[in-house]
Amino acid sequence: MRDREVLRANRRALILVILGVVLSMVLLSMPLYSFNANVYTKKSPNTFVGDEKYQTVRAEVEAVADEYRAQGFEAEIDEDVLERVNSKGETTSLITFTVNERISKSPLSMLGIGFPSSRVLAALLCLMALALVLTLAGIIGTLDLTQRYLSRRTAMLRNAAAVALLLALLLVPVFVLMNNYTFSRQIGLYNADLLTDGKDALFAKMDRLLFDGRMADDIGKALGGLTMQHSGMLWLLLPAILVSLLSAAQLRYGSIQNSVLKAALYFFVVVVCVVTLYPYYVMTITAFRSNAETLDMYFLHLFPTKWIWSNLSDIIHRGVPRYLFNSLLVAGGATVLAMLCGIPAAYAMARMKFKGKKVFLGFVIMSQMFSPVVLLIGISQMMNTLHLNDSVLGLMLINAAFNQAFAIWLLRGTFVSISPEMEQAALIDGCGTVGALTKVLIPMAAPGIVTALIFVFINAWNEYTIATVLISTASNRPITVGITQFSSFNMIEWQYLFAASLLATIPVVILFMSIEKHLTSGLTSGGVKG
Amino acid sequence: MKKTLALLLALTMVFALLCSSAAYADDEITLDVIICQYGPNTNDWLLGKGMNGTNFVEKFEAENPGIKLNLDVVSWNDVYTEVDTRIANNNAPDILNIDVFANYANEGLLLPVKDYCPDDLFDDFFPQFIAQSVIDDTVWAVPDLASARALFYNVDLLEKAGVEVPTTWAELEDASQAILDYYDGEVYPWGIDLTTDEGQAAFAYYTWGNGGGFVDADGNWAVNSAENVEGIKFALGLIEKGYTNPNPATQTRYDLQDMFAAGKLAMLIAPNQLPTYVADKGGNINMATAGIPANEGKTGSSVGVMDRVMAFKDDSAPDQAKRNEAIGKFLKFFYDPENYVGWVSMEGFLPAVNSAVEALVASDPSFEAWLDVLGTCQFYPAAKAEWDQVKQGVIAAEQAALTGADIQTELDNLQAALVK
Amino acid sequence: MYSPLNRNKWEPYIWLLPSILLIAIFVIFPIIIVFKLSFSEISKAGVIGGFVGFQNYKDAVQLPAFKTVMLNTFWWVISVVGISTVLGFIIAMVFNQKFHGRKIARAILVFPWATSLVIQASVWNYIIKYEYGSLNSVLLNLGIIKQAINWRSSYQIEFIWECGVGIFVTVPFVAFCVLSGLQSIDNSLYEAATVDGAGFWSKLWRITLPMVRPSLTVSTVLNIIYVFNSFPIVYTMTKGAPANKTDTMITYLYMLSFYERKKGPATAMSVIGFLILCICAGIYMITVMRKEEEQ
Repeated sequence: MRDREVLRANRRALILVILGVVLSMVLLSMPLYSFNANVYTKKSPNTFVGDEKYQTVRAEVEAVADEYRAQGFEAEIDEDVLERVNSKGETTSLITFTVNERISKSPLSMLGIGFPSSRVLAALLCLMALALVLTLAGIIGTLDLTQRYLSRRTAMLRNAAAVALLLALLLVPVFVLMNNYTFSRQIGLYNADLLTDGKDALFAKMDRLLFDGRMADDIGKALGGLTMQHSGMLWLLLPAILVSLLSAAQLRYGSIQNSVLKAALYFFVVVVCVVTLYPYYVMTITAFRSNAETLDMYFLHLFPTKWIWSNLSDIIHRGVPRYLFNSLLVAGGATVLAMLCGIPAAYAMARMKFKGKKVFLGFVIMSQMFSPVVLLIGISQMMNTLHLNDSVLGLMLINAAFNQAFAIWLLRGTFVSISPEMEQAALIDGCGTVGALTKVLIPMAAPGIVTALIFVFINAWNEYTIATVLISTASNRPITVGITQFSSFNMIEWQYLFAASLLATIPVVILFMSIEKHLTSGLTSGGVKG
Repeated sequence: MKKTLALLLALTMVFALLCSSAAYADDEITLDVIICQYGPNTNDWLLGKGMNGTNFVEKFEAENPGIKLNLDVVSWNDVYTEVDTRIANNNAPDILNIDVFANYANEGLLLPVKDYCPDDLFDDFFPQFIAQSVIDDTVWAVPDLASARALFYNVDLLEKAGVEVPTTWAELEDASQAILDYYDGEVYPWGIDLTTDEGQAAFAYYTWGNGGGFVDADGNWAVNSAENVEGIKFALGLIEKGYTNPNPATQTRYDLQDMFAAGKLAMLIAPNQLPTYVADKGGNINMATAGIPANEGKTGSSVGVMDRVMAFKDDSAPDQAKRNEAIGKFLKFFYDPENYVGWVSMEGFLPAVNSAVEALVASDPSFEAWLDVLGTCQFYPAAKAEWDQVKQGVIAAEQAALTGADIQTELDNLQAALVK
Repeated sequence: MYSPLNRNKWEPYIWLLPSILLIAIFVIFPIIIVFKLSFSEISKAGVIGGFVGFQNYKDAVQLPAFKTVMLNTFWWVISVVGISTVLGFIIAMVFNQKFHGRKIARAILVFPWATSLVIQASVWNYIIKYEYGSLNSVLLNLGIIKQAINWRSSYQIEFIWECGVGIFVTVPFVAFCVLSGLQSIDNSLYEAATVDGAGFWSKLWRITLPMVRPSLTVSTVLNIIYVFNSFPIVYTMTKGAPANKTDTMITYLYMLSFYERKKGPATAMSVIGFLILCICAGIYMITVMRKEEEQ
């Protein structure tokens, strides 16, 4: 019984793998790419059908077309007349003549031309062939039916087949996108003279692909208005290879569900990480671009053509280190203050019974209800009274105060979650309340305290509105206010803005990453107890 | 318990320390100055090393012993917030550089200019500029710089598409259509900015170009006149027909200037600094200027924009005369051609005093033509008390019209709120 | 509650004193001033005048943009908090699995939380610029699109982008709160459920959700407050343009106060916002207190 089942499964998988590969080959050899080369384009404004200018231009275009026809092209002439009546009642007209050549090509015909995608295609074909061979070899390994389990070598062969097919599958979109880039974008940029590097080489290859090299030096003109479309059938490659892959995977793992789930997990994680990192990629590359390149209207480059390190020295020259130092001072001071006030309060809330506890909690939560933006007038009045306007100390106090609520809430939760027995013991041993707190509870609550600390630090580091209003001396500005000099009134110097942003972000991110482990456990103790 | 007390004691001490930190007195007088940030060089020139290795504050304090400057350069985004908050707390700056002044003057917060400005300096200002800062026959502020706006166009783009520079609205539409057709939408024919930053400028361009404006002939608010409605409708029509940049409600003039510098925009109305700006951005555009197009049969007008310097009252100052004198010294120093030419040319503005003209024209002959334009400019009615409201009101009306509201109704509502 | 330490009935208050002082001076006092201001006349330039009763409130409610802004604020809070909670939950569930590179992935997830909102909003503002934005650049150069796309072609879409950025910066906080909740779940609970034949969904509903609910409640309430009061994203990206169609309450009253110079109504509006939040937080506190008493 078992023999026959194994044989049947093998046979079915093998047939499916072969089927997938054959289907892919068929698809690849179909003329899925259609090109429309405007071998010649002539735009003629203020020209009317039949008038003198029209005749001259038309004759010119005919001559060009004839030239092409002499070389054996179809060379159709298209004439696009755009007539409008302007405000004075006159008719205006723009006539566009194009000489067109329509060509269809199969993906396989791109092999050996030397495009980047040619190599991808070659790799894809090799992988599929390899998968076929490996599957066959893997099946040969199971023909010895006396063996109860797959031999290691067989398992490896089958693994390799699945991996090869998976890679082939991933190469399909790479191939399609690479072609899109080369045929539409890159050639468009070359034609508009926005890119120059490697133009001749690519155009020679295009000549070989489209015109069998007949255009030679005229190829530049011929590609002037090239448009490319690929048939949607190209994407059928994906299901075709998928069929092979699934059968190969089934052959290996028995169940395909696990492998699919695992793949989905990694896919999700990669997507989340890519989306999260994307703004940081933008920030980093823009920080090192030249002024002109930040406003790259034609989207030429994914990376700076030249890394302008002087952007960094420019912003350092414009006061950024001082601002960073102030921010460090404000955030550090606010954190220390918030902890000094918050820990005793949280301790009392967690361990003591007293009247007005709910009132205090309400008081604390209420202090979070107003955005600092709204309280500007009140805050600055308070600061005037205390003579703390325009001082780093004032910012420290404000930030500490605005973060009390979160600190107390989190610390209280942490303290509640820790059993009071240890402190009791310490008290009996003769420690004072303060001793019990500092020697016993605080070390035990360290993760929660670290979390609260970081939270306050981040909020203070990022505060912007109050600092703008309170600080009027340049040397007291924190970094968030300091970077506004690079984006005044929407006239933004993007490269400096992002270089400064980068400097402002890196320390905090490093800090956060280093305590990420504490973060979860700290929030655990704080969060679960509400 | 002891430690608790110690902790508390420490905290109380910190607070006590905080509360007693200020309050000192000596013969020095300190002037709080707020200056708006005009561009990338402002900060460096005033506070950094942008003034031949030194800066404005250092140089001033060296030349005027006994006067200290507490000078803050504030981004235009935040300056109203900062100034208003300080006023609410009776802590207004001594000297302020900003665009508006009418509210401050009407609420009795400003010192009249004659109280502190030396006569020789006062006579140096362009009289037509001073006239823009008068309420009830009193001058409340002095101009510190100006810019004149005109139509800039990309000569090459227009030439290729076979388009003449438009002078009327009808021609503008024709030219836009031709450019749109020729470049297949790759180039925006016309730049328009209806953003919260400068939507009032657009209002000026299209209403002044149609014989309308913010006020009528008698100087009363008339934002909903038929001319205005027609003018704004024309502007909206340009957007609707696709002749303009695609997102006029969020694309500021600087965005437009960037597009112009990259050759993606054929025409826009911009201040005289545009060539400098484009060169700074690495653009290499063959550009020229022309008058702002107006409606058929109407004469267009150049648009001038001017910012001002003003001094706030401070009743708590021990010696008013001494304070006024210090403010006068500040102005004297600021408008001294030696310093002022640097201030104006730093971001490519036009001067407000006669004594600077010669030196500026010597450094860049193109200034001369612009000064002539400036002479014929129309300015915003910033001396009227409701100007803030009008400025925001017309922007809101334009933006509402962009999202489908009726511009007539919007302007009627604004007018009704103004004459209430 | 356990309380062995009350030797002196004044002692708890002494422990609370520094915190109370700090909050009272720097938060409560300005709040009182805002309340006072909301009943006072305030000039355009900011000079504070006499008592005017409820005039400011009447003016605020009658502002033409009032309804739009309130509705926007509602959608802003609901969508940002709602979607980030769901998304944060899903991400936490996935990131709680064992996989290669989990440490790195978690560290990356922290990034948006640790970046200033002003910076974050500026970066996104740059990313979605039509003419030179990075998103078009990347998609074009990868050959995914052939023509640059106008990512902000209408105010509705711009508002969606703003919500998107709001979600982007809020998700990490939710995710870490949920992750911490997930870590406190004893694995034996799942094992027992598996023995009983419970599937994925029933385990999710019967074990996971109840166990992480406290963390979720806390993060949700804090997020409601933070998101409601969030200012830099909208202000940096659109300033509420066009015509307050993308404003939330906080940005609107800022513009109202400092650009349109209607400071009285702006102050009144901030008090209205405060009251709305108070109601939400009141409900939250009552539930939390009740639960604690049950324990």
